[in-house]
Amino acid sequence: MPADLDNSSTINDYTASGDSSSGNQITPSKPSVKKKRNLPGMPDPDAEVIALSPKTLLATNRFVCEICNKGFQRDQNLQLHRRGHNLPWKLKQRSGKEPKKRVYVCPELSCVHHDPSRALGDLTGIKKHFCRKHGEKKWKCDKCSKKYAVQSDWKAHSKICGTKEYKCDCGTLFSRRDSFITHRAFCDALAEESAKTQTAIAPPCADEEPNIQAVESSPSLPPPAVAPQAPAPPIPPSTGVVSSVLPVQNPELVESSNPSPATTQILEESPTPISTVTSLTTSFGSVSSSSSSGSTSSNVFASLFASSTASGSLQSQTTGFTNLFQVMARPEQTADVAPSSSSEPVSLCLATNQRSSIFGTVGQERRQYAPALQPAAMSATALLQKAAQMGAAASNASLLRGLGIVSSSSPSSGLQEWSGQQIEPEGAPLAAGLGLGLTCDEGSSLKELMLGTPSVFGPKHTTLDLLGLGMAASGGPTGGLSALMTSINNGLDVATAFGGGEFGGKDRE
Amino acid sequence: MNMNNQVYSARPWLGFPTSKSLGSFGDANCMEQLLVHCANAIETNDATLAQQILWVLNNIAPPDGDSNQRLTCGFLRAIIARAANSGTCKLLTAMANVHTNLAMNNHKFSIIELASFVDLTPWHRFGFTAANAAILEAVEGYSVVHIVDLSSTHCMQIPTLIDAIATRFEVAPLVKLTVAGPTEDFPPMLDLSYEELGTKLVNFSRCRNVVMEFRVIPSSASDGFSSLIEQLRMQHLISAENGEALVINSHMMLHYIPDETLPVVQTANSPQISIETCSSNSFLRSMFLEALRSLDPTIMILVDEDADFTSNNLVHRLRSAYNYLWIPFDTVDTFLPRGSKQRQWYEADICWKIENVIAHEGPQRVERLEPKSKWVQRMRNASFRGISFSEEAITEVKSMLDEHAAGWGLKREEEDVVLTWKGHNVVFATAWLPI
Repeated sequence: MPADLDNSSTINDYTASGDSSSGNQITPSKPSVKKKRNLPGMPDPDAEVIALSPKTLLATNRFVCEICNKGFQRDQNLQLHRRGHNLPWKLKQRSGKEPKKRVYVCPELSCVHHDPSRALGDLTGIKKHFCRKHGEKKWKCDKCSKKYAVQSDWKAHSKICGTKEYKCDCGTLFSRRDSFITHRAFCDALAEESAKTQTAIAPPCADEEPNIQAVESSPSLPPPAVAPQAPAPPIPPSTGVVSSVLPVQNPELVESSNPSPATTQILEESPTPISTVTSLTTSFGSVSSSSSSGSTSSNVFASLFASSTASGSLQSQTTGFTNLFQVMARPEQTADVAPSSSSEPVSLCLATNQRSSIFGTVGQERRQYAPALQPAAMSATALLQKAAQMGAAASNASLLRGLGIVSSSSPSSGLQEWSGQQIEPEGAPLAAGLGLGLTCDEGSSLKELMLGTPSVFGPKHTTLDLLGLGMAASGGPTGGLSALMTSINNGLDVATAFGGGEFGGKDRE
Repeated sequence: MNMNNQVYSARPWLGFPTSKSLGSFGDANCMEQLLVHCANAIETNDATLAQQILWVLNNIAPPDGDSNQRLTCGFLRAIIARAANSGTCKLLTAMANVHTNLAMNNHKFSIIELASFVDLTPWHRFGFTAANAAILEAVEGYSVVHIVDLSSTHCMQIPTLIDAIATRFEVAPLVKLTVAGPTEDFPPMLDLSYEELGTKLVNFSRCRNVVMEFRVIPSSASDGFSSLIEQLRMQHLISAENGEALVINSHMMLHYIPDETLPVVQTANSPQISIETCSSNSFLRSMFLEALRSLDPTIMILVDEDADFTSNNLVHRLRSAYNYLWIPFDTVDTFLPRGSKQRQWYEADICWKIENVIAHEGPQRVERLEPKSKWVQRMRNASFRGISFSEEAITEVKSMLDEHAAGWGLKREEEDVVLTWKGHNVVFATAWLPI
């Protein structure tokens, strides 16, 4: 115990530097004491042995002024204090001869230091000894709850507690004992240490460093510059989201019996990118068989897939969702949006370049409206994309063709072909299937989202496809991705929804 | 972080700190509403609505956002996975496959990593500390102590217990440690077999002058640890008279035992399950406790997360999970820096739970937490009597909590102790004796 060692060193110093005239350092009268170490005690036999009661020993201020009851630890200090009361006082004078040596015994009868031959050489030493060995440990470390009887011990500990106190042979440092213990139990250092005495096979190495074989993934992107605009329309904070109904904005657009002018315009004004898409489409294996339905059209999924290979060009163009975002930010400008974006080619970049937005739509402009996302783990977008790829591979060209909704010349016929249903000539929602139509009834689509009342739009509202997977318009209120999501809509499975006329049979799987 | 419980419990809406960056959309309340509506839409096959809400959620809940956004993102993915799982066509199956692969990406910890991982937060240490203190008191005087460690943390609690035994008792008892193996398929996952783990523990015990016998009994929570119970019962016949203390330590493990809300399993192989099997299947959880009680244990410790994930109603479950699992996301900033690998592992493990609760049904849905009140009722029904944790144990738990962030707290409820975060119940610890 440190306490004992401290004491012993004190005593040893004392005995070593003690009155040399006494001559006999080791008392021959105690031959029975084992000499396993330097025992504290064995003081000068000529010293005066003081035995203090526990109470006196622990009294902090035993020299008390009789006037004001102030206590002092030292008589000298009391004497100085008495001067203030004009009481007689006396300071000890240094005399020429050495004062009589004093040694102190422990008041605890069972203690070895109760024997005068093992008395301790100074008052502080016996006080600390008595507290440490026989006293209450009333000083507790706040951090590790170790208890100490002596305040100075506690203070000394407090200074180092919380610092790295425990060190494993493997080099790891620990501030807490139980952390260290748990580590130690499983660390190979221990296994190696005891391997000699152990007959069992040493367990295979577990790495000591906490970061090994980890997936090196996702260095964080620099924080995105988020524009002050809200990325999405405000949702009423009330709980009645589903039940409440808002008036439909731009009803003339919704009820328009013609394909949205905006849509047409876009398609007509941006032939080049469309052909780009088409070429990408054909490059995507199985798509060629689908050319009958929308050979010159931009194929949604084709662009989806293509964007991973030619994402640069596609993303440098705009996305249909740019419109969406713009509209969402400024719903009152619905009508303006389409023309403004019409100069930009339409491609639904579902697969985004390293961005984990589930539903893609990452164009440069989008970043203004939505926080950029970190490519952490596997993004939901990637999930969808991968799933779609796998699904596409599985269900062959029909999927892709089915998704190639918009034909620049005759969108509705293309849709009819794949949807397997006669679709009313209200073409706008069909175009919306590509996400283009979003521009025409954007405000209402948002409301619908918020309100959860797609029925507001009746049968015409087929494809307010905010997700941009826009392969819907199966005649029912299904979105293409909806089919993806829920797989069941109007009893059609995806093959139906996608495969349309040719694969319209139910339950192909 | 250093606000006290009163302040937080007075906050509106569950005490969530709200996101500042996204206005009303970033509000956790709003995000929960959207998740609920999305779940409703999926359950009612309203695909259009579902996808639209998903789209919005995706944009307001980036995976690298604040804690509520990350939480919501986890739920968002889980909902997508659910929609995919419930599908019948190839596309969805493929999607589910992709997602399954994603789930498999949960980090497999090396034993040393796991030791430091578990040490980061009171989430597990709370139970360890309280349980170890109670166990130490209960086994005093026994020459043989048989510990059955049913822990989701792979014996991480044992070294400190062994150390305490070695320090506290003049003559250390023989320690028999029994675990159910092999390791289960839920996080945290360990890249070490239990046999190797046992070798290390035996070795460590020897260094502490404690003799340990380690045993792995192949058994699983999915069948209520039936083979473990069987083995213990056989052993009990022999060892009961030998003055052997039997300690059942269950740490966040028993909620993996199927409860009554799990519909009867109808596997393709055995569509014809007898009525008896059916009914007993659904009572595995209570049966397990009764079986333990019949072993007359010296003490049983039950530590688990204080939430209810058992509802068969998806929306109920979603709300319950959302209003519980924000806590691990909220706490992580206090002990792991952004971008650290450990943080990725930590959050991936939470997301695993979210997905399990939301995306899966039937026997696949293993995260079946029950609140403390329910467990207390089960234990009483099984003829156990709750006992208080000693002041010494409380003191140890408190000083352990002092080593962690200020938001953690300790609450005493009757005999039990509850770990709290900003005043919200997180984990409960209970100690039980046979009546």
